[in-house]
Amino acid sequence: MSAAAYFHLSFAPNIKLVSTVRRFTGEFYRRIIPDEDVAARLALATHELLENAVAYAADGDTGVRIELDAPNLTVRTWNRVKSPQLHDLTTAIDELNKAPDADAYYQQMLMRATTRTEGSGLGLARIRAEADMAVSYQIEGGDRVCVIAQTRIAPEARGGAA
Amino acid sequence: MSLELPALSGKSLVADGAFDSGVISVRFVGTADAEVTKDLVSVVDKLHAEAVRLGATKVTVDFRELEFMNSSCFKILVTWLANVRELDPKQQYRIHIISSPEHHWQRRSLEALRCFAVDLVAIDS
Repeated sequence: MSAAAYFHLSFAPNIKLVSTVRRFTGEFYRRIIPDEDVAARLALATHELLENAVAYAADGDTGVRIELDAPNLTVRTWNRVKSPQLHDLTTAIDELNKAPDADAYYQQMLMRATTRTEGSGLGLARIRAEADMAVSYQIEGGDRVCVIAQTRIAPEARGGAA
Repeated sequence: MSLELPALSGKSLVADGAFDSGVISVRFVGTADAEVTKDLVSVVDKLHAEAVRLGATKVTVDFRELEFMNSSCFKILVTWLANVRELDPKQQYRIHIISSPEHHWQRRSLEALRCFAVDLVAIDS
């Protein structure tokens, strides 16, 4: 593994564990990224990715892997997912990435959320707009989805490291 | 005057409130995540109903001890704002949110909330 710093955790899908994992990862971010605002953005994104992963999980493991390979910081979550949920997830990410303005899209999703009966539909838009991260996905073996959020961490946020 | 809000069954989030001189003050302490979503709906619905019943002109929401809020709970706030906006203008009330710079997520999340209802929401930090 060539990453300069990484955190890797897998757990049985359980919504009650998500806040616990956010606290673990929040501590990890604070250790490797002295800028507290950036660390908090990443912790928020990690929480939203994990809630999505747990919510969509069919069975098996839910996992998270965080890698800082300066200047890139990548958060990956993965889980097995049933076909309808996989379609919903990939459609949501494709729509997110087609929107040219992250903030305008987020406001649009906030408006949509007021009439949704299931879920908020806000997690991915929040990751892009509030955490300033690009979101993508990979599908493996037909039913295992990996959602990836990535951003560049400025040298000053990393404590001046090049 | 105390304000009766539904009890939050989990230990991760606490809410309490009061009404005085036309202003409702409510405080949230803890973490608003998937464990408390249903309870938070009850609290916010009751808060809105009480604001209308009491003819409140302002609701002050203290988030200074709110460690985190997930998107499902954030949706509850957005829906609340939409419900206030749907009221007759004479019944509408302003929402004043007190935030904490120590909880860095609040700056961006609450700014998004303010942009959603700039006519109703003010943020103090």
